[in-house]
Parts: sequence; C-alpha cells; structure tokens
Amino acid sequence: MTSSTPGRVAVVNSAQTLLTSSWSDRQHIDLISEAVSRALKGTGIRLEDVDFVIDSGSDFLDGRSISNCGFLGAMGAHHKEESRVEEDGLWSLTYAANKIACGSAAVGLVVAYSKPSESDVSAFWTGLLEPFIQRPTGLDQFSAAGLYAQRYLAKAGLKADDLHDVSRRAWERAARNPFVDVDEVPDDRSFWFEDVATPLRRSDMARPVDGAVAVLVANAEVADQIAKRPVWITGQGSAIDQHFLAAREPDSLPACEAAGRTALRATGAASAKEFDIVEVSGTSTVGELMVLEALGLAEPHRGIDLYRDEGSSGINPSGGALPADVIMATGLARLHEAASRLSGRTGSPQDGLDNARTALVHGTGGFAMQNHCVVTMAAAS
Amino acid sequence: MTTIHHADPSETMESMPAQISMPYTLTPGQATGIFLAELRNRRLIGSRHGDGTILVPAQDFCGSTGEPVTNFVEVAAAGELQAFTTTARGTIGMVLIDGTSTPFVHQILQADPAALEIGTRVEAVWAVEATGTFLDLAGFRPAGNPNTFEPRESPGDLAEPLQQVDYRMTLDYQHAYGQYYGTLFDGVKNSRRIRGVRCSECRKVLLPPRSHCDVCFAPTHEWIDVKPTGTIQACSVVHIEFIGQRLTPPYIYAEIVLDGSSTRLIHMVGGDAANADKHAVEPGNRVRAVWSERRTGSLADIEHFELLPADEDPS
Repeated sequence: MTSSTPGRVAVVNSAQTLLTSSWSDRQHIDLISEAVSRALKGTGIRLEDVDFVIDSGSDFLDGRSISNCGFLGAMGAHHKEESRVEEDGLWSLTYAANKIACGSAAVGLVVAYSKPSESDVSAFWTGLLEPFIQRPTGLDQFSAAGLYAQRYLAKAGLKADDLHDVSRRAWERAARNPFVDVDEVPDDRSFWFEDVATPLRRSDMARPVDGAVAVLVANAEVADQIAKRPVWITGQGSAIDQHFLAAREPDSLPACEAAGRTALRATGAASAKEFDIVEVSGTSTVGELMVLEALGLAEPHRGIDLYRDEGSSGINPSGGALPADVIMATGLARLHEAASRLSGRTGSPQDGLDNARTALVHGTGGFAMQNHCVVTMAAAS
Repeated sequence: MTTIHHADPSETMESMPAQISMPYTLTPGQATGIFLAELRNRRLIGSRHGDGTILVPAQDFCGSTGEPVTNFVEVAAAGELQAFTTTARGTIGMVLIDGTSTPFVHQILQADPAALEIGTRVEAVWAVEATGTFLDLAGFRPAGNPNTFEPRESPGDLAEPLQQVDYRMTLDYQHAYGQYYGTLFDGVKNSRRIRGVRCSECRKVLLPPRSHCDVCFAPTHEWIDVKPTGTIQACSVVHIEFIGQRLTPPYIYAEIVLDGSSTRLIHMVGGDAANADKHAVEPGNRVRAVWSERRTGSLADIEHFELLPADEDPS
C-alpha cells in the first residue's frame, strides 16, 4: 500500500469551442487543438508540464477505428501517456482526477469532442444496442425517449405541452450562452409541436452539436501556484443500469440516483440542493426531469416544479444538454461551464450566480441514459 | 472492414463522403439462440431464474439479479401493451407476455396508434417466411381476446440454439476537410501544387498541413510549397492482396520525404526503372511524382512516384 490519503485535485482551467450544429469547415483536430490551446493559455502550464492526456470520443461517430490515434497531436499528447475512454468526457475527468489523487501524476489534460454532423446520429445510438432482440425492432433514441415519456407523463399527471417549460428555459439560457450557436428561442410551430416520438416533440429532444472541450486538472501543489481560484473536485460517483430498456424502471433513473449518492457521500453534502450550481445532461426533456429527481433536487414526478419558479436559476445556467448535446463531451461541457463560473472566469454573467462556490455536474452515456456520472466541485474561498 | 472513398464528380474540396461497412457473424449463445431458433416453430421461449422470475426472450442470466437460467418455459404469444410510442419509423411498444416478469420492446403492427392504450391486449404477428432472426416474430397487434396460457415447462422437442446470426453494419459519413486539408487538396486538384505549413517553433514543414505542430503544439502559420520530388526513407514490396488496394501486387510501398518538407508521405513507387527490379529500390533513392489523369483532389491524384535519374535531379 502506498499513501492512504488521496491528494486534492483541482480544475485549474478549461475551455470549449463554440458548440454548433455543424462545424462543416473544421476537422476534429481543428476543434480539439483550439480547445486544448485555450485550456493551456494563460495558466503558466506548458505542454511539457502535462503528465498525461485522457480523452473521450466515439469511433462510431468519428468514422475510424481507435480514432484517438489520429488526434494525438491535436490533443497535445505527443510522446505522452494517453488513454481513451469510450464514454462521456466526465468519466475521463474522473479517471484523470483519480490518477492525480493517488500521486502518480501532477498535471493532466482531459479532452472530449465529437462531430455528430458528419454521420447519421441514429446509427450511432442504435449501434449501442444489443443486436439480437433489440436492434432489429427499429428501437432508436427517439422511440426510447418516447417510451419513457409516455409512462413518466402518465405518472406525473402532466401533458406533453407542460414539457415546453423545460425546453423553453433551456433554449433561453442557451441563447445567452456565447459558446452555443443559439441566438434566440426557436419560434416555429413545428419545433414545438411536431411529433418525433409520441408524446415527445422536436423541442423535447436534445439537439446534437459539434464541438470540443478541454479541462486542465492538477494536484494541490500546482493548483495553488497557478490558479487564482482553484476549483477543487470534492466528490465523484458513477453507476450503470441494465442494458435492456424494457427491464429498467419505467419512469426513473436509479443508476443516476446511485451515482449522485456516491458523489454526495464523498462530498459530505446531505443533499444536491446544497449546491449553488447544478449542471445536468438530459437527452430529452423527460430525461432531464428524471435526472433532477434522481439527484434529489425534486420529489419523484415533481421535477417540473423547478421550471415553474425562478428560484432555481442555479440549475443548468448554461442551458444544459437539450440545446447543445456534444455527444461524448456533453458532461465535460457541463463541468467546464460550472468550473468557469466557480473560478470567476466567466466575468459577471448577471444571473445571480456571481457568488456561487459549489457545483454538482452530471453526465450520461449509453443507450437511453443507461450510464451516469456525477462530479461535485467547490471553489477555494 | 471495407472503407470506400467515393470519387463523386460533384465532390467539393469541403468534405468527403465515406462509408464503412463491416460484416459480422454474431453468436447469440444458449438462451437467445434457443429463443431465436424456436421462432421458426412459432413458439415463444422464456427462461426461469432462481426466484421464479420468467424472462422473455429467454436469457442466460437475469439482468437484475444475475441468477442463471434454471429451465426454459414456453409462454403464450400474447400479452399486454405497457407503453408505446410512434415515430417516423412506426409504432414501438413494450409488451409484457402473460405470466412473465419483464416486458420487451417490439413493433406494434396493424394498429391505429390513436386507438392504442396502456393495457391493450396484443398477440404475436409471425413473419410469413422465417429467416433466423428476431423478426421471425414480426411484432404484435391488438387482439380482443388472444389465445393465452400460463407459462409451461419447456417442450421436449426444444430446438437447438441458433449458432450464428449474419449481420452487416453500414455507416455513412461526410467528413469535413477543414481549411488545411481543403487548401492542400484544392492545390493538388487544380494546379498540381503540394502545400504544407511551417511550425512557428521548430520550423519544420508539415504535410498534410494542420493548425498545430504535433510535436511542439505550437501554431503553424506559413504555407510552404513542397516539391513533387523527394527521397525514399523506407520501402517495402507488398505481395499480399487486400480489399481497397489500388494496384495489383506486387508493388512498392514507400515512405517519402518530399523536398522542402519535414514529414514522411506514404505512397507507391512504380515506373519502368523501379519495376525492373523492385527489390533494388532502397532508402536514399530519389523519386518524383507521376501525376495521374484523375483530378479528384487527393494525394491519389499522384499515380505513383518514379525513380529520378541522377541527371534530372533538380537538387
């Protein structure tokens, strides 16, 4: 056994490219190198100070096998220890944090990216499905969300129109987010009322976008030297549900609840309600509601209340995943958004979160939100 | 794996269509294999697990408890609809077969979605012709009073598990070239010009061009014309055949450092002089590009490199 006390780990800087429905004039490597160079910029950390790189992406989405091999230079990983995680970048972040916490490295770079615009996103999602008895049925990400939604709305006593509160707030906030290509809330009728997977409409489904995110993490010695206001990682947890969609709970996400519980236990927080900022990844409006309920921010089937009062401005101030789902990087984008605010790097967004000190971040992966990861953070006071 | 890069005449230097198509022979294993094999007999087979749970389609292990299958049971081809949704691809539902513990997802056929309700009774729709896949059970349809029975112990004539399911995954892409590859391929296509970029730190000239140097991670700023002549760094005579090959083996594959660049380009060496004795071609040999009639805007517009006679060497 080596040292039994894990070292403290901080997010010292982070960056993302603009998230947009199609970066048709940029390659993956262009997006990745932009995010990485901006994450390093101004920190005093040079690339040679970075001990390792951990990255998240999908060979399916990228259209090449072991796609990270072709992106090493853009990730700043030349002749470095590099490891690929085929899950959302938030999982990469936890691997990097644990690597530093156990003392085997001082500085790590976490990268996540995707360009879903280059392929058929449904093929990516259905490619995750067990091929014998699920994939042949035509089940896809839309019908899976619709099946959850039908049962959730029935239990909650809600109508499909009620979900507009969830998407409207998400898109309003995305319109204020300079890193999302949304200027205003969509006003066309088809967006709000066209059925995609009954009872869900287009406005209920997360919009896939292209982009890259990079996060620089370091041990306490480095973080205290270089960061004005290091953002400490205080807890983390992840949990996975069973694969067969029909065997899961019909209207709740127990794996998300388990991931949140593990993270809170490490943090010492009694409830997710204690956090100033909560950034979650929902692949649909109903998915987002189920995540908030699983994390304990609302009673089961009452998540909608969080959208009906303005007191909950700390939930997804970035807009969340609905207007901008960088598949494989969405959870890490949530962490970047939260860490930027905690460290004061976003300037003065004037949304009442200037004094935010703590954050809880959620990412999801797998078919129809099978897998969940939760990370909690606190800024140095 | 087959990778096809179509040379579409409408292609621009902005992006490239590509398709990956991979054949698989999937192995369903015991429980799923039996379930699939029995669909041909129009029988639904479930699995019983330690605590009495009955799963349909049959599973080797229960996903919730991990309990292995204790025995197989035949279940009715009837049940009730627990959830459903309609998309552009049709209606998908969760069907709970009578007497079983967990529903499964399948297509709901021959139904007006507006007339469906949670709890609607449904019965199996069988494929006219069995093909050895899950779709031998085509789906379920509403039925007022379907023929049903309690799960019964597995029939003595239970089919052997299906050994293999053939599957092909085909994925289509439209890859963006971006500014750097776009500029390179524009030059190659329209003016037979090969352009790299210089790293602002190590000053090396990189081909293909890119925004950052892989080694220094410094930005590249300056476009540099690279000559169509160069020196072989390493080479090998390829004798094997594989899918996607442009030349018939044997041919010479080489890493070539083009004059004015710092990186190695992988290409073929051909022409009369090289082909006369392929094994005589060696590192240090000087070569020059032989442009093809094709103008696709890729480095395949170079047919191959040929050995450069000493008296024609510009260097």
